[in-house]
Amino acid sequence: MADIKTSEFSKASTLSIKDPQLQRALGRVGAGFDTSRQEAIAEVTPEVWETWREEARSIKAHTLDHLDYYLEMVYDNVTKAGGQVHFANTADQANEIVAQLVRTRNVKMAVKSKSMVSEELSLNPVLESLGVEVFETDLGEYIIQLADETPSHLVAPALHKSKEDVAQLFSEKLGLPYTEDIEEMARAARVLLRDKFFQADLGISGANFVVAETGTLVIITNEGNGRLCTSAPRMHIGITGMEKMIPSMQDLAVFLRVLPRSATGQRITSYVSMVTGPRRSDDEDGPEEFHLILVDNGRSRMLADPDLREALNCIRCGACLNICPVYQKVGGHAYGWVYPGPIGAIVSPMLVGLKQSKDLPFASSLCGACRDACPVKINIPKMLLNLREKLSESPDPEVKASPDLDNLLARGYVRLMSNPKLLSIAHRLGRNLQKPLAFLPFSPFSKGPKLPLPLISQWTKSRDLPKFPARTFHEIWKKELSKSPGGKSPEIPVSDASDKP
Amino acid sequence: MSELGGTPNLGGTPKEEFLSSVRSALGREKAAPLIPYPLLEESLPDLEAQAQEIRQRLTENLPLILDKFERMAILGGWNVHRATGYEDAIEYAVSLVNSLGVDRTVRSNQPVFDELPLDSALTNLGVTVTQVTQGADQSRESLRQEIIASGLGLTGADYAVAETGTVVIMPRKGLSRLVSLVPPVHLALVRPQDVVETLADLFLLRRLQFHSNDGEMGSYLNFITGPSRTADIESTLVVGVHGPKEVHLVLLDR
Repeated sequence: MADIKTSEFSKASTLSIKDPQLQRALGRVGAGFDTSRQEAIAEVTPEVWETWREEARSIKAHTLDHLDYYLEMVYDNVTKAGGQVHFANTADQANEIVAQLVRTRNVKMAVKSKSMVSEELSLNPVLESLGVEVFETDLGEYIIQLADETPSHLVAPALHKSKEDVAQLFSEKLGLPYTEDIEEMARAARVLLRDKFFQADLGISGANFVVAETGTLVIITNEGNGRLCTSAPRMHIGITGMEKMIPSMQDLAVFLRVLPRSATGQRITSYVSMVTGPRRSDDEDGPEEFHLILVDNGRSRMLADPDLREALNCIRCGACLNICPVYQKVGGHAYGWVYPGPIGAIVSPMLVGLKQSKDLPFASSLCGACRDACPVKINIPKMLLNLREKLSESPDPEVKASPDLDNLLARGYVRLMSNPKLLSIAHRLGRNLQKPLAFLPFSPFSKGPKLPLPLISQWTKSRDLPKFPARTFHEIWKKELSKSPGGKSPEIPVSDASDKP
Repeated sequence: MSELGGTPNLGGTPKEEFLSSVRSALGREKAAPLIPYPLLEESLPDLEAQAQEIRQRLTENLPLILDKFERMAILGGWNVHRATGYEDAIEYAVSLVNSLGVDRTVRSNQPVFDELPLDSALTNLGVTVTQVTQGADQSRESLRQEIIASGLGLTGADYAVAETGTVVIMPRKGLSRLVSLVPPVHLALVRPQDVVETLADLFLLRRLQFHSNDGEMGSYLNFITGPSRTADIESTLVVGVHGPKEVHLVLLDR
């Protein structure tokens, strides 16, 4: 499996925020991808968009609820088309299947089309250890491979790289003349990789969808590398998560409508390639062998959890990343594993374990923008809350996220807020004591630099203690609002001590 | 049906074990969906009836649908030429070949090329036109080399989708996967009868074919909408990264 650094989210995100180049790159996410997405939705009208989202969601929900049934259908239909289907419970098993195929078919060179699952499996080092030369062929993935890094975005893996970075990489690693001309660099990659497609014995791809009815693997791309990987080499291996099944070929229509629009704002991508088995005997070209590897690797844990199953709806469009105020600040690498952003904050803990990803469910302001942007209506904030609950209630001390003191304070807070008398006493105390206590360094009236509250400094270091207002809503209600004549809404007095930071 | 062929275990999880772990995650025994999935319940006559409706809709609205196809294809990045007839289409192809200055082209074997004498027009210019048909004299490898050496790939369209401006190609005998992909320029010839209105229409027609053809889908179904493109460096759009940089579409009118 890919290296897991999910436990370092806090540290990594602090570094990300201070990285000016990364911040510049992340600026393109909201302004670029998300603006295009919104324009695409406006074009089809929000009403139509909503019906598409609901259709896409319900197809996914149905398929996941009967996943065993559809997996079996995929198995039967791929087999019927002359391909082979392999199942892998773990990343190691998936890698072993590829290794076996590579050994027995004497594979020397492999070309890869973008696959997040192969990132998850950390397949490339396995192939290299077997003496196979591996070329990522998606331009972004190729850049990342040359830099020996991991993707930082679901659809734009090299988002964090500047053109200067790429120019440097191409001249150092490939010996090309240094140029910062983006078109020139893309052309160089085309020329370099063109021969590899035809020399390679093996093409590896992911799958955006697998159609159960026909046993068809669907790849959605813009560059054309996916077409070459699945057409030129003598063997094609598709590797994907077991959740990617959809029942019928006709279900594809709605996903081809929502996925490109959500990812890049395109009406459709340049290419959609649908592969059913290997080349037929009278075909002009195409691979002689077709293998499909379906990977669990922790997904059944999500399937088994009714609160989190819906996260398997994800079609990896990246819309939730592009709109997330946290992702837009910390970038993809801070999340510490293959899947970044709001959806990653759910998927990673479930696939690598909550114990190692305690910070991720908290990497959200719960603003809900991700939920509204999601083309398959995954309720991300609700699931993040659920994961937080799992963390704070866990009987396993190694999983339990919050220290006992936090829990104690939280319980005290609940008690206080659910008892009007207690709350009103606390208000009066606070109101009367806040000025006399202004000498305390964390007081809102403190003249000097404000310091975090002791004991809960983690929480208060970025939040100031608010001032207590002169009158509480309770008091205003009692004195004025409850007595106002019915039908006419009274003017609500504005508190004189607002808690502006 | 699962016994058919079967996949040897190469170190993965045996199928039944994998499926039973999925079932236990779902908390139940082996079972088909209680409420069958409507699309999967459709019989051949059901599909035929829907296909009939699609054709009816096409016949009634063809001019509008062709206009929509043209509009969406332009938005998708195609250079669209609406030909008034065969001569006009051939003229467009000839002037394209001239302006590109290519001397080798490759074309698929599709019905549209039987309808219009493009080969002779190009050959008259001194341009080689290689047809994709493996005969005794043409090996797979030599065909591949010919495609790689060609400056222009010519194809018809097995379907075209108005909703998205997409040309659909189904590689098979006489139709290489590479002709529309490897040469730097692609020219697609689309006949009015190739055009369908929506993606849903197209998939319905494909399903009808699949089921009436005893479950044979063909190995590949490819959608092409505009040129190859990438925005992987600083979100800057570049066309022609692995596939064609320039794509032309001639829509034949009759």
